[in-house]
Amino acid sequence: MKSIYLDNAATTKMHSSVMKAITDAEEKYFGNSSSLHTIGREAKAELDKAREHISKKANSKNHKLIFTSGGTESNNFAIKGLAENNKNKKHIITTKIEHDSILNVYKFLERKGYSVTYLDVDKEGFVNLSQLEKAIKKDTLVVSVIHGNNEIGTIQDLREIGKICHEKETLFHSDACQSFTKAPINLEKDNIDLLTIKAHKIYGPKGVGGLFIKEGIKLEPLLHGGGHEYNLRSGTVNVPGIIGFSKATDIIGEKEIEHMTNLRNQLIKGLSDVEESWLNGSKDKRLCNNANLSFMYAEGEAILLYLDAAGISVSTGSACSSNTLEPSHVLRAIGLKQEQTHGTVRFSVGIDNTKEEIKYTVDTVKDTIKKLREMCPYKY
Amino acid sequence: MENYSKKVMENFLKPQNLGEIENADGVGKVGNPKCLFKDTNIHTNLKLKKIKDIKKNDFIISHDGKYHSVTETYKRVISEPIIVLKNRLGEIKLTKEHLVYAIKIPKGDKFLRTKNKKTLIPAWYHAEQLDKGDLILYAILSDTKDVDYLEVNTKKKKFDHNSKSIPSKIKLDSDFLRLAGYYLSEGYYFDKTNNVHIAFCFNLKENNLAQDVVRISEKIFGITPIIKKNETQHSQVVYINSVFIVKLFKELFKSGAKNKDIPDMFMTLPPEKQKSLIYGIWKGDGFFNTKIPRGGYSTISKELVHKLKILLLRQGIIPSIYTEKEKTDKKEQKHQECYRIHVGDKESTTKLAKIIEVTFYNLRPEAINSWIDKNILYTPITFKKTENYSGKVYNLEIDTSHSYNTNAFTVHNCGDIMWLYITVSKNKDGKEIIQDIKFKTLGCAAAIATSSMVTELAKGKTLDDAFKITRGDVAKSLDGLPPIKMHCSNLAADALQAAINDYYSKQGRKILEITHNDNCSCCHKEKNCKK
Repeated sequence: MKSIYLDNAATTKMHSSVMKAITDAEEKYFGNSSSLHTIGREAKAELDKAREHISKKANSKNHKLIFTSGGTESNNFAIKGLAENNKNKKHIITTKIEHDSILNVYKFLERKGYSVTYLDVDKEGFVNLSQLEKAIKKDTLVVSVIHGNNEIGTIQDLREIGKICHEKETLFHSDACQSFTKAPINLEKDNIDLLTIKAHKIYGPKGVGGLFIKEGIKLEPLLHGGGHEYNLRSGTVNVPGIIGFSKATDIIGEKEIEHMTNLRNQLIKGLSDVEESWLNGSKDKRLCNNANLSFMYAEGEAILLYLDAAGISVSTGSACSSNTLEPSHVLRAIGLKQEQTHGTVRFSVGIDNTKEEIKYTVDTVKDTIKKLREMCPYKY
Repeated sequence: MENYSKKVMENFLKPQNLGEIENADGVGKVGNPKCLFKDTNIHTNLKLKKIKDIKKNDFIISHDGKYHSVTETYKRVISEPIIVLKNRLGEIKLTKEHLVYAIKIPKGDKFLRTKNKKTLIPAWYHAEQLDKGDLILYAILSDTKDVDYLEVNTKKKKFDHNSKSIPSKIKLDSDFLRLAGYYLSEGYYFDKTNNVHIAFCFNLKENNLAQDVVRISEKIFGITPIIKKNETQHSQVVYINSVFIVKLFKELFKSGAKNKDIPDMFMTLPPEKQKSLIYGIWKGDGFFNTKIPRGGYSTISKELVHKLKILLLRQGIIPSIYTEKEKTDKKEQKHQECYRIHVGDKESTTKLAKIIEVTFYNLRPEAINSWIDKNILYTPITFKKTENYSGKVYNLEIDTSHSYNTNAFTVHNCGDIMWLYITVSKNKDGKEIIQDIKFKTLGCAAAIATSSMVTELAKGKTLDDAFKITRGDVAKSLDGLPPIKMHCSNLAADALQAAINDYYSKQGRKILEITHNDNCSCCHKEKNCKK
């Protein structure tokens, strides 16, 4: 049976070159990067190389990259670490379309007495900049805005947001888990103070991520211990994993971005003639690999499982697929009514997908929608 | 979510009997929209409102304990059996498929709720799936917004040379909140020309309260109240004369005992601060029996009772609410509809006693049936019945959270839709059987699989036997469903019964009562088991 993986926003298959780099590193650089002996020092040297290599990808000049166990840890570290060190600032600004890994940090802080402003987004998912400007107060700890949205793919204008934050003397954090290496990020020009990145969305290993921290910003560590990573993240450093992360940052280049953009556009165009369906998010400013579509009179979980039976892996924002029967908060934030969120499917293409696969997918999706609509009691 | 069984996937991927039947003998339509009754009380940011009066952009409390805005309101007319559920906070009437935030308690009376707390998974259940003893989850308002000062309009009217001025900014502290509490319980105002005052009526024994009012008034308003004692009636009245204070109190707490209300601004104050308000209210009009021990409060203001309920819940105190209907007693004295709050469990009485500064020793062991965890009240359903209803029903669409609090339950709506068509013929014995059956469904894999399975189960069966097919039968034939999808099997069984009833009513025959008697776990197959 065919197997077409179109859920690269959930995770990617590790690239063979990354796999090789990791296996080699496990062989050669197994040492503890804190050890003083040669083997330890060699591991340390490779770690520093990887740090430098990844830092260049974000044009980091005045930022320190701290390696973590992934995006969730980086997001927790950024927000809780700041909160712990700035106890007089009890206000946080974020958006209504953040990832759960940071949204639940805010819920936690709200229980501790923090107030959180959730900025509205327009129907394409862009943050309202004038609302942001008005929301910043004297005791605002941080403004945090996701860069490339994991569900609808909208890419925010970090530069403008960062500018406003810095004019108002507030720190700016962004979660770039989905966008790192897929969309340009320039820590300096984009006015970013803290940036979350991770490896497994870009063909790297799971369990490896990082947080860029601008010099001068003090964070309280989440993990206390042996003082690894500049005393900010204790725990023996996963040098082979980080070497794999470093290698992974080379995989998506201009050519790959163009390839994925073409496949994404082929998919969107191919499905554009399905009646009562639409693209969620922005048409132009979106992640090169993300196509999020809604189909009326068909339910997302049913679409997903029919496609799965045909060998195509996708994901859905439908309420019926969640444990709480709640539809996706992102889809609600861009103004979809509940009944409009039901038939929402996210396709996220990868570097290995082909035009033929997309064509097969378009045909299969159309058949599936037709089949489900025939089942639907409503005539439309 | 749990994975689907192989059987579910088979029925989903290759559904049987899909389609519709033209000129069917019976059609059963179930699913959205699910609705509540016009008099259902909904907590909004301003007051308790009847659902029929709720408008777009009103704010309600959702299952996350926060205020959310209403984005849409719906109504429709129905004629069908509906469910009545009660718990310690009150009653709700809803259509049987309306989703309620709850925990289904496994059958067997040995089940210890508190011991198994952690293994209880909350989910949204159709009202009819729930039974007496199942736990409902009620979200407690968790929004907190401190207010330091109240602004008072102290502008004098023309030619008003008598009124004493009061400060234009009043600190919203424990003193003022205590005074507010006394007023809500014992106070009234009078604003005829030349005689403008607010007054507090205490028992002669309650000297400490009267003195507290005097002290607070002097401190906050700079006005010394007048106390008038009435020995024959064993009462004393404290008068504060000020046109501004009357205006302020009228605005804040409304007028007349029936309409007394706690302003919304007070409802979201930090719970620590609200203790003073509870102190004042309870000291004024409540009682606390240290021997039993039990706390009680009664009022004729519906607003006040429900707001006090929220205040208590925010303190971790679990109240019970009773409504006494309007009545005329033996002396032909008329009593208005009255609401009573009881606080009886050990933890709650201890907390309440601490707030109202009463000491008592409570060594009595007790069984716990309700508790509060992370801003959610867990409490059992105490009563369930089904009754027939014809008329309008209502529903709301809520921004982001999709749920709302009534005065006693937290409810939700989600939308599967299922239509079932049947044709009926007679078998050799002359009994009516389902000759053909087809379905149409808009929903998830479970909804499609259960539709397919119910048609398979019903096909060829006599109408009597088909009517007895339960959601349990459907789920069992599919080798089970994930708990959160059980409501889908419900829908399938409902649709079948609705289709059969539709056939009967088209024939002009009596329709059957819709029942799902698979709750008897001892004898699943024995449909007539009375146990």
